[in-house]
Amino acid sequence: MKKILIVEDEQHQRELYAMELQEEGYEVDQATNGKEAVDKVKANKYDCVILDIRMPEMDGIEALGKILSRDKKVPIIIYTAYSNYKSNFMTWTADAYITKSSNLKELKDKIKELVSTRS
Amino acid sequence: MDERKLQLFAPVILILTIITSISITIMLYLQKTNIIMIVLSCILSATLITLLIIFRLIHKVFFTNNIRKILSVVDNFKKGIFVQPSNEIKGNDLLSKMYGELLIASRHLDNIIKSQKNEIDKFRELYNNMMFSMNAYIMALDFNNKIIFTNELFLNKFQLSPSEVNGKNLSDIFYFLTGTVLQAIEEIKSTHESIILEKAHLISHNRISIIADIKLSFMISNNEPQIIMVMDDVTSKTKRDYQISLITRLSETIQKDDALDHILRTILTAVTSGTGLGFNRAMLFLRDDKNNILYGRMSVGPDTLDEAFSIWSSLNPLKGKEILSRGINGDDVHGRLLKEKVESTSFDLNEDTIFTQTLQSGETIHITDALHDQRVNDEIKNFIDVNEFVIVPLIALNKIIGILIADNKFNQMPITQDSVDLLTVFAYQAALSIETYNNLELLKKEMEKIRHRQEAIVESEKLAAIGRIASHIAHEIRNPLVTVGGYSRRILQTANAQQIDIQKIKKAAQIIMTETERLEKILANVMDFTRPSPFLLRFNNINEIIDDTASLLSNLFQERRVELSLQLQEVPLIKSDFNQMKQVMLNLLQNALDATPPYGIVEVKTYSDDKKVYIEVSDTGSGIVEEDIYRIFEPFYTTKTTGVGLGLAIVKKIISDHNGDIKVINKERGAVFTISIPLP
Repeated sequence: MKKILIVEDEQHQRELYAMELQEEGYEVDQATNGKEAVDKVKANKYDCVILDIRMPEMDGIEALGKILSRDKKVPIIIYTAYSNYKSNFMTWTADAYITKSSNLKELKDKIKELVSTRS
Repeated sequence: MDERKLQLFAPVILILTIITSISITIMLYLQKTNIIMIVLSCILSATLITLLIIFRLIHKVFFTNNIRKILSVVDNFKKGIFVQPSNEIKGNDLLSKMYGELLIASRHLDNIIKSQKNEIDKFRELYNNMMFSMNAYIMALDFNNKIIFTNELFLNKFQLSPSEVNGKNLSDIFYFLTGTVLQAIEEIKSTHESIILEKAHLISHNRISIIADIKLSFMISNNEPQIIMVMDDVTSKTKRDYQISLITRLSETIQKDDALDHILRTILTAVTSGTGLGFNRAMLFLRDDKNNILYGRMSVGPDTLDEAFSIWSSLNPLKGKEILSRGINGDDVHGRLLKEKVESTSFDLNEDTIFTQTLQSGETIHITDALHDQRVNDEIKNFIDVNEFVIVPLIALNKIIGILIADNKFNQMPITQDSVDLLTVFAYQAALSIETYNNLELLKKEMEKIRHRQEAIVESEKLAAIGRIASHIAHEIRNPLVTVGGYSRRILQTANAQQIDIQKIKKAAQIIMTETERLEKILANVMDFTRPSPFLLRFNNINEIIDDTASLLSNLFQERRVELSLQLQEVPLIKSDFNQMKQVMLNLLQNALDATPPYGIVEVKTYSDDKKVYIEVSDTGSGIVEEDIYRIFEPFYTTKTTGVGLGLAIVKKIISDHNGDIKVINKERGAVFTISIPLP
């Protein structure tokens, strides 16, 4: 079973993604900020990381760098309410940049794509 | 012999003679005569007749002499001789008395005349002294304007000899006279009333010029009517007054007026305005280094002698105001040809001429005989077309920007050092004005550039700000929308799948509600910032507001384990809106609390000086990143993970509405926000 880490400070959203992805058949782990995410990546192996940008303690962009320095191969999807960070070159190091939507289809499709190419 | 006795004696003799004659005649008639009687009677008659004849003779001799004497006295009177010979007539008769009286009157008259002559002599001496010592030119004219007399001072001043003046017409001596002088001469011929003229201008044919106060009086001498002109020379005084008044007026004009053309025209007009003070013509040339030329910028002066006369006649040399306003209008009908000529002329800066020499050396050049002066080349000779002229450099801050050329083309008066000095002063003013104007123009251009750049910056900043605002609002709204949408979808899915789990639906609905409320709050926040709220300025105690806010937040501070310390001094009341100031304190304390880790301190201080009340809010957080410090008051700028970024923007707006100021600095630990609000 593929293991996915959801990094999101908004509880309702985080829980929504978790429910939806579990129903898709993924094992889901959750982190509420960048720092937690980096710790979890250190401790576990994930097949995909879904990363929000604006979070307390450590934001997504900082976490992105730290996660990549730990695990260069883990696919990372930036999933954010910001549409303008797509042009920020730091986010280019992520595998995908998706603007949040109430329809999770785009996110699910991307996870599927990344997880399958990895295996 | 007494005259009266003589007069009595004569009729007695006459009667006796007649009686005798009658007696003889009667005796002869009666023929009772004897020869003795007849002889006696005849002798008697003859004696009587002889006596009568003798008496007449004596009488005649005696009277005629006396009358002659009297007549000689009267004759002497007629001749003005009053002192008579001492041989008096003796006797009591009327003639003697009359003669005696005449002699007494004569002595009286003699005394009177002697004393009057004495007085006149003294007066004449005084008069002569006065005339001699009077510093005035005196001239007497007859009614044909022919000069009868001039004093020595006049002759000296105008370098003329009596023969060159006497009998000559006024116009033979004077080349120019202020119009009012001729008018006054005509007037006095009919009215005989004295006239005083102030500051009349006279130029002689040999180019001697004076400005004089003239008193004209009427007089009759040797039965001939005459006009006496006493001229008080006020040239140098007038010149001084005039220069001072011109310079004063000029500097006033320059200060008031920023149009260069007006200033330059004023200067040139001033230089040429006074008939006997300034020049006839003035021409301004400026250097143009880009094109390497010296070009004619402006000129003032008449084109013809007629124009010159009409200008001089119409102007009072001391009325600077009038002259300068003429200059400012610039619509002078005179000097069109000169203007055209000057403004179409330029000289090569590379050529070595007196013009370029003045430009290089900065020295004034005074040409007295252009025709024979080697320094003046043909081009300049043709251009100037006058034998004497002066070139003055325009020196502005050690830079020579042009030249001023002036001459006396029309009255041909020699250019005096005085005039050159005056010209130098005006050239200096002109140069400064030009330089100031140029600098101002340059400054205006630079300012314009800066303004354009600023506008561009503001524009791009505005765009950036709009971008930030849009991005923030989008982010803030998208998050709850995503949640709302996501959970709605789930409800729909479960409904479609017909596996309704009430608990799940309830939870989803709850989340939707919460997120919707959040959306509403965001909107309210944004609206709060943009909507002008009613502003109620009352006298409030700022400490009260702080206490109020502190108690409102005390639970929150306790929860986060942050200490809230209030150090409030007595401060004057300030005019403020209570609720808005509460909003300010709420936002600042909330921010401070958010920035401060557990066990930190948030401190609020108040204090005042004689002008302002200060509120200081400090925290022990991480402070503000240098690059953010200028932007934290911008709307929609935030470093927090939640919130629209309007808190500090709202604070700033409210403080500005109170005419106050808010500043932020980082201290060793944390940040300090200081608000200052002026006392009413």
